[in-house]
Amino acid sequence: MTHAASHPRAESTRCPREQPAAVPAERVSLRVLLVEDNSADAELVLRELRRGGFEVSRSIVQTPEQFRNSLWRERPDVILADYNLGQWRGIEVLNILREEHLEIPLILVSGAVGDVTAVECIKQGATDYVLKDSLTRLPTSVRRALKEKELSHERREAQKELARKVEELAQSNRDLEQFAYVASHDLQEPLRMVAAYTQLLAERYGGKLDKQADKYIQYAVEGATRMQTLIQDLLAFSRAGREGVAAGPTNCNGVVESALKNLEAAIKDSGAVVNYGGLPTVAANPGQLQHVFQNLIANAIKFHGAEPPVIDISVDRDGEGWLFSVSDNGIGIAPEHAQDVFVVFQRLHTREEYPGNGIGLAICKRIIERHGGHIWVESQEGAGATFKFTIPAAAAEPAASAAALTLTAAAGAR
Amino acid sequence: MNLAREILLVDDNPADIDLTHDALSRSRFPTHIRAVQDGVEALALLQRSGKYSDASVPDLVILDLNLPRKDGRAVLREVKSNPSLRRMPVIIFSTSRAGRDIGHSYELGANSYISKPGNLQDYISVIMSIGDFWFGCAQLPPQEEP
Repeated sequence: MTHAASHPRAESTRCPREQPAAVPAERVSLRVLLVEDNSADAELVLRELRRGGFEVSRSIVQTPEQFRNSLWRERPDVILADYNLGQWRGIEVLNILREEHLEIPLILVSGAVGDVTAVECIKQGATDYVLKDSLTRLPTSVRRALKEKELSHERREAQKELARKVEELAQSNRDLEQFAYVASHDLQEPLRMVAAYTQLLAERYGGKLDKQADKYIQYAVEGATRMQTLIQDLLAFSRAGREGVAAGPTNCNGVVESALKNLEAAIKDSGAVVNYGGLPTVAANPGQLQHVFQNLIANAIKFHGAEPPVIDISVDRDGEGWLFSVSDNGIGIAPEHAQDVFVVFQRLHTREEYPGNGIGLAICKRIIERHGGHIWVESQEGAGATFKFTIPAAAAEPAASAAALTLTAAAGAR
Repeated sequence: MNLAREILLVDDNPADIDLTHDALSRSRFPTHIRAVQDGVEALALLQRSGKYSDASVPDLVILDLNLPRKDGRAVLREVKSNPSLRRMPVIIFSTSRAGRDIGHSYELGANSYISKPGNLQDYISVIMSIGDFWFGCAQLPPQEEP
């Protein structure tokens, strides 16, 4: 242990000479826990702190036990420890602090040691290292340590606040989704009553009252049945967001086949031709993917031009994933509306021209985005439309099934 | 010989009771419908207790699930675990499409489970199918000797 009794105010070759910090008009109170077995050294440290403008209340300990007890009793703002304490080293104070889950800045005050040791101490978590022959640095070092602690505390508080707000928002979103789902669900019952009985009225009294009554009843029936499809679409939209994706290997050929089966009547009525084949197996939710294909094909049939609809479904690789295209020869979409069609309830035509609620594509967009992909349309008015969407490769597939996927994909690729 | 089939309709929604009446009236099979609105009444009628001591035994029960006082699930369980009642064909006719409700009903011995269709045409068509099947196709259990 070096005695720093004759303590020259020598300029250290390592640090620029610092004036003792100008004593601020107000003295800052500071609780110091000093781990030092040499009382003379201890006095020097305390004197320097007082010179530096601190009103010091201090406690001096020498052993780890004394240190530990003092920690809780004194609640110091800063710990100053000598590196060499005979049986132990000042740096070990850090272990005790960690055990006690306390974050108090530690400044090591010691005789000359190698740069390496000083750097090591800082790496291990000491806030600073002041040499006993440069004690004038100490008040500045203490100030900086306290400031850092304050900033780090503020940052942690801000992060906690942010996390709290984010969770609040997430909860609010969950509540809204839940509300939308429950409302749509519960609306179905009374709606069923209105729809059924207006239709029964039409059936029983159609032509038996006057023309006006027939018209009124017809409007009521149309309104009710439209509300029913609207609620069903809203529920589907809501489900597209609620349900987990539950992706598994999904054979797109099978999915398209199921969709076409559901559209049998519409295909027959319109004389539509749907071309597809050699589609891959992708990581997706089969039910949801079917919903997407079915909706796109149904739209292609619905918005046909003068000719019977011809629909081509094809696929390309997109990096590790896939890019699907569903193109038709229908009425097309003006480029300025290309984004609008995916917005909930947005329609480009009146109900007289084409039936629908304007939710179908919004649901497709939700499903595709939940799968991690994108969906968009390329089209010109009067020149058909091509809807494209990507399905990325699965995030983390177990090796066996990933190999199976690649094999099937290779076999199915054109 | 009474040719009209006896149907016990258990539903707490009077509008649906009327709807089912209407649908059945279109069937080629003459039917007589008795309607009750909760599970307690339904069991009392089936057990011919109290005011129902003279009631005729239904040929078929069309049972909703969500009922006040005692719900359809409890009625189903009691009917199908009662040796003198369990032969009775019980059709669950409910708005619920929950897999859990469907599975549980079959578990308890329901003869079939039908979800109430949302649109009128399908509703009528389903009710008429029930009539066609149970009265035109399937054999009903013979009436037990009292």
